[in-house]
Amino acid sequence: MRHVRPLATRLFPAAAALAAALVLAGCAPATTAPESGNDAGPPVAGGTLVYASGDAEPSCLDPHVGGNYPQALVASQYLETLYTKDAAGTLVPWLAEDSTVSADGLTRTVKIRPGITFTDGTPLDAEAVKANFEHLLDPATASSTGYLALGKIKSMKALDDATLELKLKTPDNALLESFAMPWVAIQSPLALKRSQAENCAAPVGTGPFKVASWKKQDAVNLVRNEDYVQPVATPGHEGAAYLDGITWRFIPEAATRYAALQAGEVHVIDNAQPDTIAAATKLQTIKHLDAPRPGASNRIELNSSKAPFNDAAVREAFIHAVNVNASVDSLFFGTAPRSYSPLSSAEPLAYSAESLFAYDPAKAGELLDAAGWSERDSEGYRTKDGERLSLTFPVSTSQSIPAEQSLFEQMQATAKESGFEIKINLLDLSSWYGELFTNDYNLVSAPYTKVGPSVLAVLFHSDSTIPAPSGYFANLSQVKDPKLDELLDSAGSTQDEAERKELYAQAQKLVLEGHYLLPLYNQQNHFLYAGKLQNVGATTAVATPTFFDAWLAK
Amino acid sequence: MHPRTLAGGRSARIAGTAARWVLGKIGGGLFVLWAVATAIFFGIRMIPGDPAEAIMGGPGSQASAEALAQARADYGLDEPLYVQYFGQLWRLATGDLGTSYSLKLPVAEVLGELVPPTLVLAVLALAVAWALALVVAVLSTRSGRLGTALASGLEIVSAAVPHFWLASVLIMLFATALGWLPPVSTNSPAGLVLPVATLALPLAGFLGQVMRDTLDAAHRSPFALSARARGESETGVLLRHSLRHAALPGIALSGWAFGSLLSGAVVVESIFARPGLGRSLLSAVTARDIPMVTGVALLSAAAYVVIMAFSDLAERLADPRMGGS
Repeated sequence: MRHVRPLATRLFPAAAALAAALVLAGCAPATTAPESGNDAGPPVAGGTLVYASGDAEPSCLDPHVGGNYPQALVASQYLETLYTKDAAGTLVPWLAEDSTVSADGLTRTVKIRPGITFTDGTPLDAEAVKANFEHLLDPATASSTGYLALGKIKSMKALDDATLELKLKTPDNALLESFAMPWVAIQSPLALKRSQAENCAAPVGTGPFKVASWKKQDAVNLVRNEDYVQPVATPGHEGAAYLDGITWRFIPEAATRYAALQAGEVHVIDNAQPDTIAAATKLQTIKHLDAPRPGASNRIELNSSKAPFNDAAVREAFIHAVNVNASVDSLFFGTAPRSYSPLSSAEPLAYSAESLFAYDPAKAGELLDAAGWSERDSEGYRTKDGERLSLTFPVSTSQSIPAEQSLFEQMQATAKESGFEIKINLLDLSSWYGELFTNDYNLVSAPYTKVGPSVLAVLFHSDSTIPAPSGYFANLSQVKDPKLDELLDSAGSTQDEAERKELYAQAQKLVLEGHYLLPLYNQQNHFLYAGKLQNVGATTAVATPTFFDAWLAK
Repeated sequence: MHPRTLAGGRSARIAGTAARWVLGKIGGGLFVLWAVATAIFFGIRMIPGDPAEAIMGGPGSQASAEALAQARADYGLDEPLYVQYFGQLWRLATGDLGTSYSLKLPVAEVLGELVPPTLVLAVLALAVAWALALVVAVLSTRSGRLGTALASGLEIVSAAVPHFWLASVLIMLFATALGWLPPVSTNSPAGLVLPVATLALPLAGFLGQVMRDTLDAAHRSPFALSARARGESETGVLLRHSLRHAALPGIALSGWAFGSLLSGAVVVESIFARPGLGRSLLSAVTARDIPMVTGVALLSAAAYVVIMAFSDLAERLADPRMGGS
């Protein structure tokens, strides 16, 4: 899933900066009633949580359609998945009870948990799950994320009420991880039979809340599912949710969102920016939830398909020429620890190689001299045969937050000392994709959310250099290495967990040592919430918060 | 000749002039709408990116070739361009604005919901701006040179202030620091204060600047002098003579002002998270939602045409030198 950053701060960065400056300058309000989380007493039911999202309002509340993060955020309240991740990050069955796979890896059997009912009264059974998969695979649904996740399913059959048998085209050991993503969440088959417009307006699931109404550009109103039964008991409470409901609002401007939180108009805000988090953590009344997204880390890909990065030595030189750590520390106020892995730290199989990424301009210089980039032009940039060592870096203003854009600018400055010219182009999403599709880039940063290490195949398998009909391709470093392909293929199909880990480690080592990417930090996913809101912290497998256990202190 | 026939001929002539005026306005308006529809139809196709992709979830969608083909067929994007163009004009002429790519709802229905909140915002802002501009103009002309200079300075500053900056400052001050008003706008009266103020203040500065100049000139003009000589009080001169003069450029500018309010609404509705046309235009452009963009643009153009006609009419009524009377 590719993430599109909200309108948030990209609209009015100056305003956001000003607002932040004013907050930091002490314009913040005096804290009102003293709050502390631990002595709030026993949980009380009641009250409506107001959630303010900085993301663009989804055009459809059914995450099967399209499939982006804003949809996952809201859908996590009313839809549930076959699998999920527990508090320790382990993949566990949820709506499914169990799953087995044949020795050849081509037949997967999923046992469906009995006794679960959708909020429209339809029972959950194998036919219901089959109807969901068919919905996802139907081109008319226009599923993008869920469609890809189920791409290896060849056919399916409900053997009985509780058993679904899936025949696969090739073995896929990432299937259960895919089942944990909200884009593959299970909805009432009866509700799915409605028109797409109707289902988009009010999907029907099994979750602790249900969609009551949706007033476009205003709010999605969710109410408690009174009959909710948790498929698996968790350490929290049993029965229905504490909250009467959730009002899901969309406040695109970051400064307004934070002001609304401070004013007590909303209880939770997402897409919290580093400067705001730094200011908020000084207040007693506001708390912070840091939930890095799974899948890939945020990283800069080095386009190896064309000069100058078709030369591995130049890629290596570039990585030593930029001072990332100092900038990340200062621009992100300590909210974004540095990553040295292609995978998010939320992924248990992430492999890190810190030693490869030292800031070492001397080494960069040696490498460039040896690679023939030894001359300098009048502006101080290195040249070879009269060509300047110049890198084009299209940056999507909707995917890179202001702090990240500043980071790129600071990298531009440090790289210049080593003789690299970086041309940063700030672009809207369509134009940015345009540059990628025409291979008009040397550097690019594109987030990718997915559960599990199979995201590595999406990003680095040579198959991913072949564009989709829309022109989209995910392998942006354009690494084409038969050895890597083989590692990724084997890693994706083995039934042996230890072997899977080892193969994915080797694949990560290969792309890191090949200097195809520069990892930056986890894909940032920060929430701020009012101190009176208790028991926040549970998230789905894709790090979207759930509010089943949450309650509002008086 | 009988006086009656004379009067009758005169009123017929006036009616004729009025009819010509009305027809001219309607014709001009239709031309503007056609031009806007045409410009958008062709302009939006110059932007890189396949409209079918926008339908299937925006740029970079991983929709399959079949899904894209299906979308093209559903929305008639597989027809030759001229067929699409005349088809589009015909549908627009018959009042069919099409279906939004991203919302999958009829554009007319979506606009129907979004027009009222934006209209409330724009009309209130225009009224407040007018009131502010008048009050400041009147007060300053009566308070001597220093007052004039002060008012003029204030007006220039407020006219120059960008909406997003003003909105942020107002939120910081009145929502965060003082806690008097909500930072997020709803249709409650309190929620309207900050967005209306954000739109009204710069406009008031602009209107005030123009009005005060005219008011000053009118106040010094021979007719004001003769009115004073007739023994009229300063207030009388102001109300009966000078204000009427000062209002003229204000009225003439109100059409323009309304247009600027609509563009200001894009910023203000986004910052204050207020439902409305401006915010939907922004998201429609981001999502390459051609029918929505076309719908909002045509609606804005139509509103502009109507407002201009009314401000023209109001100007004729306020200024006896113009029009057929």
